[in-house]
This record gives sequence, structure tokens and C-alpha cells, in this order.
Amino acid sequence: MIEAINVSKHYTLKEKKRWFRSEKKTIEAVKELNLSINKGEIIGLLGLNGAGKTTTIKMLSTLLKPSSGTITVDGVDIETNPMEVKRKVNMIAGGERMLYWRLTGYENLIYFGKLYGLAGDVLRNRCQSLLENMGLGEAAHIPVERYSKGMKQRLQIARGLINDPTYLFLDEPTLGLDAPVAKHLRKSVKELAHQQGKGILLTSHYLEEVEELCDKVYIIDKGIMVLEDTPKNIIETFVKEFRVTVEVQNASTEQIHSVQRRIHEKGASFVSTEAAGGFVFEVISPFDATPLAASVCFELGLDIQRLETKKPKLEDAIIQMSEGLSA
Amino acid sequence: MKIAEIILAEISKSHRHNFHNRMVYFSLLIWPALLFVTAYYSFKPFNLESSSPVFDHIQTDSLILFLLTGYLGYIFFWSLVQSAWQMAHERQSGTLEIVFLSPVSRYTLMFGRAAGNLIEAVWMFTAFAVIAMASVAGIESIAWWNVPIAFFILAFSAIIWGGFLNIVFLFSRDAGILFTVLEEPMQFFSGVRIPVLALPLWGKTIAYMFPLTYVLDIMRELLLEGASVVQLGTSLGLLGVVLLVLCSASFFILRRAEQHARTTGNMVLF
Repeated sequence: MIEAINVSKHYTLKEKKRWFRSEKKTIEAVKELNLSINKGEIIGLLGLNGAGKTTTIKMLSTLLKPSSGTITVDGVDIETNPMEVKRKVNMIAGGERMLYWRLTGYENLIYFGKLYGLAGDVLRNRCQSLLENMGLGEAAHIPVERYSKGMKQRLQIARGLINDPTYLFLDEPTLGLDAPVAKHLRKSVKELAHQQGKGILLTSHYLEEVEELCDKVYIIDKGIMVLEDTPKNIIETFVKEFRVTVEVQNASTEQIHSVQRRIHEKGASFVSTEAAGGFVFEVISPFDATPLAASVCFELGLDIQRLETKKPKLEDAIIQMSEGLSA
Repeated sequence: MKIAEIILAEISKSHRHNFHNRMVYFSLLIWPALLFVTAYYSFKPFNLESSSPVFDHIQTDSLILFLLTGYLGYIFFWSLVQSAWQMAHERQSGTLEIVFLSPVSRYTLMFGRAAGNLIEAVWMFTAFAVIAMASVAGIESIAWWNVPIAFFILAFSAIIWGGFLNIVFLFSRDAGILFTVLEEPMQFFSGVRIPVLALPLWGKTIAYMFPLTYVLDIMRELLLEGASVVQLGTSLGLLGVVLLVLCSASFFILRRAEQHARTTGNMVLF
């Protein structure tokens, strides 16, 4: 397990005032963060730009030194034994950097593999198998500069897996990728966690991705942890509005009034509008009113043409929460 | 982690990344050869007879050998300044950070990188210089039995120098100034084309700040004078001290550089 206890990070920046004069300014990037990642678990780390997500990932991966607090990886302190920790972790960032563009995909993996002490057949077989798994088998011997963005991103993932890490940090891994490529990557991430038992920390601006993948989500704002829960619980906590839309044919005024009365009795609001060939009812409630709306219409003998439920998403919850934070 | 594996990895990466097209042969051979030819012909119009102040230090008939050995040493050392400069590119491409994410020994990597780049960068001019020495000056003018020792001393010293520069460039993204400082001044003061002893005292003081000066003194004694290692004990001792200082500085700066990068996050700034 990776465990971060009361971890803070501040940077001292020099702000130029005049020639030869500068003023020191301290920026608190992360403040007393507590976080844990278990093997086989996908953890989401969310926050606006500048919230401290990348700083957190870099501290967990030993690239940055925390100003205070402790981080342990399977009980090993990253400050006292960073080399042992480095063998167990790896990081993948979105974008096209962090690769040698003039080398082929295979040569990149061979080089990075050697930095982890891999050699011979073990290294060659691992490189080949990672390239195959990432769908780059045929492009293995083509220079990276000729790869598409998606191919470079997949090679990044292969590079991040070269040391078979126990824990993997993914910083915006699907940034700028086409939907099919992003979907393929999400599938790979799920497999890594659930089939290979890797602990994964994911940051992403695509909240649907986080909702789909993550077992638990940490939300940080200006370096401070503001929430830690499952996506489901976060949605339930922050989103109090379910919307059900029912389209019916030939409803009489009496029937519409009956629907309205019964919906109101359950504490939901009801709006009816006339549409081509019928009516559209919109039910807004603090609970999922789909069964209620369906049963009322059914009991009154209304002919339901369409029934649509808009379930609240993590994105709605984050928006609600950020509005609360900024208020 | 085996140092040989890291050196091989660096050679292979460096070959594909920095020596990827035929134009590179210009910088590997034509450019150093031009430097040598330019230096040789810039001496020609001048009086190099016994009345010349340079005559006390170079005999006219051994001018070619003096310059060839000088430029051979210079190319070894200068190629590593160029390769250390590549560190700036690694910052920009983000690969430096990924390399430091790995558990590879930092010292092995920095000195292995220097060794890998050195082999790639100097083999062609070395071959040219050796052939030129044999064909221009005649085989009898060179103490051939000392060639392996001279090359070992040159390569070893250059690797220590290159590792040190890699670490300096790692420490600061503004180390590019060294590129300018070490180009012409190193060539002039280290005795590449003018004997250090012909320089005034202030020039000699600067000269002995460059490790290349010590290496060229030893190389010329070994190759042109046929001196034995025992006879060169003092010079070798001095070179040893200089290399020891470079190694100690490298160890100190590397430790500080990584700590500094981990504190400030500057490894990705460029």
C-alpha cells in the first residue's frame, strides 16, 4: 500500500522586483495531504488546474521531496530508501513528451528497461510483449517521431510498465486522444488494476473516465484535500436532483392533473408541456423518480412513448461541490 | 546494475538519437580535420626557425604531430562538452525526469553516458589522426608502443571530464554558458595548438585549470618523446589529483543537483 500522511509541499519562488532585486515568495502547492492506494485499486485524484495533482504524483513517485509529512510504499519510506521505491513505481503522463523520438518504440523500451537493470531475453521479451499488448507490434521498429499521438501515448504506457511496477501513476493519460483510443486505454487501465493487481493513481480532467474507472476519488482544491469517497457516494452527497422525462400521447387535462398531484405528493416537482402529438412531463426530484413516474402514467392508462432518466454524474457532483467551495 | 549495460544502452541510444544521419560525419571527421588543417596552415606564414619564440617548445619538423595530438585530445574533450549540452534537450523532452524516476545509479549513468558518447564521437577522427600521424610524420616518429597507454589516459580523463560536465548541466539549465567558455578558450589555453610553456604566466595559470592541459602534456611525452610511465610519474600524479578533484566535485554536485531538483521541481524547467 502507498500511504501519504500529512504530506505538504511548498515552493519558494523568487519574484523579480528590479535589477538585482528579488523577493522570495512561498507557494503552498499541497497542504497536509493524507492518501492511500491499495494494490488492485484505481484511485482518482481530481482538482482544478493548479490544485496540486501533479505535485502529489511527483511526490509519490519520488521525483519531488515533500516539505513535510511521510510517504511509504509497502512500508518503505521514500526518503530513506528511494531506490527501492523507484523499482516499485512508475509514472505515465499525457502528451507526447518523455520519449526519445528518433528511437523506435522498441529501442525506447530497451533503453528504459536497462535503466531498471533488465537485460537479455527477459528485457527483449518484455518489450515485445508490451508493444503487442499496446497494439504497437507492427510499429515496433518505426521511429517514434512517425507515430500518431495515440501511438505515442500507448508507447508511454508500455514504457511505464517496463519495470512491471506495483504502483502506477497516470497523469492525464488520455489527454487529447480520440475516443476509440481513449476507450482502449481505459480498458487497459482496468485490466492492470483488476487482473494484474496494480495500484493505480489517476488524474484526469475527463470526469466520466474517472467515474468509470475509479474505486475511490480524492478531490483536492488549492492543495487541500476536500473530499475522499467513492464516485457513487460523492454523487449522492452533492447531487440532489434527478430528472425524469416522460413523453405521452393523448393525455386529457384531468389525467395531467392527476399525474401532477401524485408526483407532488411524493415531494417531486412536475412540469408538463405540450409537444407534437402529446405531452412531455418533466419530473425533478431529490430521488430517482423513474419508477414513480412510470407507475403513475401506467395506472392512469397513459400511452408512454418515451421514458428517459438523467442520472446525476460525477461531473454534476463536482460542479455542485465547486460552486459550494467558491460560495 | 552493470556499468557495461548502461554504457551499451547509452551508446545505442546516442547512436540512434544523435548520430542518426550522414551529415553527422561532417562533425565527426571533416570539422575536426578542418580545425587541424586550419591550425597547421595558420602557422605556415610565420617564421618557425630557431629565432621564433615557439621554436623552444615545438620543433618545426614535429609541428604536424604536435597539432595532431593536440586536436586529438581536444576532440575527445570537446565532444563531451557537446554531449553534456544535450542534457538541455532531455529537460525539454521530459526524458531526463523519466530517467531519474528509474533506480539507475546516477553516477553510473552520468559517467556511462560520457563513455557512450565519447566512443560514438571520436572514433572517426581518432582513426584519421592515427593514420595521419603514421603517413605524414612516418612510423618511426611515434612511440607506437605507448599508443594504448596514451589512449587509455586520454579516454579515461575525458570520461571523468564528460561525467563532470553532464552533472554540471544537470544542475543548472543555464549551464549553456560553459559551451562558449570551453570552446575557444580550452582550445587556446590547453596547448592544443600553442605550447602552454610559450604562454605568459597568467596564460599558464588559466591553462592549468583545464584538465586537457595535463592530458596533452602526458600524451605528447608518451607519443612524441617515447617517455615511459615511470618517467611521467609526476605528470601522472598531477593529472590524478585533477581527476580526483573532478570526481569529488561530481559526486558533491550530483547529490546537490538531485536534491535541488527534488526540492524545486526544476528538472522539467527549461
